[in-house]
Amino acid sequence: MIKMLAETGRQFTFYVKVIAAVPRSLVRYWRHIVRLIAEVSFGSATLLAGGGTIGVVFAMSFVSGSQIGLEGFRGLDLVSLSPLSGSMSALVNTRELAPIVAGLTLAAKVGTGFTAQLGAMRISEEIDALDAMSIRSLPFLVTTRMIAAFFTVIPLYLVGLFASYVATRLVVVDLNGQSGGNYDYYFSLVLPPQDVLFSLLKALVLAMVVTMVHCYYGYTATGGPEGVGRAAGRALRTSIVLIMIVDVLLTFAFWGIHQELPGTGGGR
Amino acid sequence: MAAPAGTRRLPPAVVEIGVLFGFAVDTGIAAWRSITRGRFAWRECVGQMWFLAGVCTVPAILVMIPFGVVVAVEVGSLTGQIGAQSYSGAVVALLIVGQAAPLVCAVMIAGVGGSAMCADLGARNIREEVDALEVMGISTLERLVVPRIVAAVLITMLLDSLVMAIGIGASFAFQVLVQDVTAGSFLGTMTDFAHLSDFILSQVKAAAFAVLAAGVCCFKGLTAKGGPAGVGNAVNEAVVLAFFLVFLANVGIGEVYALGSGP
Repeated sequence: MIKMLAETGRQFTFYVKVIAAVPRSLVRYWRHIVRLIAEVSFGSATLLAGGGTIGVVFAMSFVSGSQIGLEGFRGLDLVSLSPLSGSMSALVNTRELAPIVAGLTLAAKVGTGFTAQLGAMRISEEIDALDAMSIRSLPFLVTTRMIAAFFTVIPLYLVGLFASYVATRLVVVDLNGQSGGNYDYYFSLVLPPQDVLFSLLKALVLAMVVTMVHCYYGYTATGGPEGVGRAAGRALRTSIVLIMIVDVLLTFAFWGIHQELPGTGGGR
Repeated sequence: MAAPAGTRRLPPAVVEIGVLFGFAVDTGIAAWRSITRGRFAWRECVGQMWFLAGVCTVPAILVMIPFGVVVAVEVGSLTGQIGAQSYSGAVVALLIVGQAAPLVCAVMIAGVGGSAMCADLGARNIREEVDALEVMGISTLERLVVPRIVAAVLITMLLDSLVMAIGIGASFAFQVLVQDVTAGSFLGTMTDFAHLSDFILSQVKAAAFAVLAAGVCCFKGLTAKGGPAGVGNAVNEAVVLAFFLVFLANVGIGEVYALGSGP
């Protein structure tokens, strides 16, 4: 119990230090940040996991968007409300699905990559070498990565959101033969512009949480090659749980507990 | 496990797909052989099950409670708007049993259990323990991979039932306590609309996801090379690939079920 509390405290102070080092990194290491942004978004194309994060985010969002289309259409069709599938896409994709899928993908692709890089550096004592040369390793390695992920996630997330909208529309209109005009009418009725902004904000917060968690576990990895892999697993466990908890809290903060659909005239 | 000779000219992704497919076939044969010849590695399997249950259960529950609340909020707002609030029990049950529970389990098994498996096998591969096993005439597929996949399947199916109960419970509590849905109508529509076939589909999905996730993670672990960074990269690639395959399989299985059960 004490150990768990101590671990939580260590993580928390780490996160505070990372955030406090943002101005320093922005001023001193901006070249490093630019290089990391390129590396994160387009990746070092390694085999199947390659194609960069942008390809993975697109593919994951597309697949889950089409799943929403299939299941949602079937469900609404059972009660003869299939014309409403447009509003379902606008509601579910924007508010929950796209941010969660983007968060998961970032955790799997970018986050685990960070854990692997930092963990390998820690194991081969490169981080200690940095400290010995009196380069503060935390702003140089961790804060730069967090800032890079923050900038990268904006276009990435918008691509993912677009992919899930397109996939849902494709499935409902072209596969299941719903009328396109009807779909678009209910889609734009339920989607006020600020919802997209809130949804982007959600993705930004999730991206920050994910990168910080994964960097923490990489930065503190111990125990040889296996230790790096174990750190990646522990980081994923923490970040997946945090993604869901942060997501539900942000949903309540942005849209309230008793949500109303915009454009359908009043609520309860 | 390396790419066969003469494949240098093909793009690496194509070679990778081929090698992965070959690995899957080999594992299938090894599984068949180890069971028919009575040398299935029970001890390893039970050990892995214990390990997976230990690392996956608590995070899966922690993920499912907020997930159940999210589902309750979205479904409640949609059904409340069209005056079908009493049906929210049915919608919640179908969503959680059919979609959410197997996916959460798969994400857990791939992300938490699979990454640990991949790291373990990768480290053994780098320390040449795997080669040593092969030299001693012990098949790594039968000894290491098959028990891990079987353990993942069993644990995912058990975890699926647990997560289902937790998710429906969280949705129920949230809808009844916060959104003022009557408990009777929630439970009534839920039991009216949920069938046994949904539960069986959910279990089949969970088993299929576990095979995919554990298989990919073992494959990436056994092909890791090059020190700590190599193991880290193997885990990274394994998790991305496993997540993507699971999401793809979800759409595929859902469609097959829908076609099979008719409109």
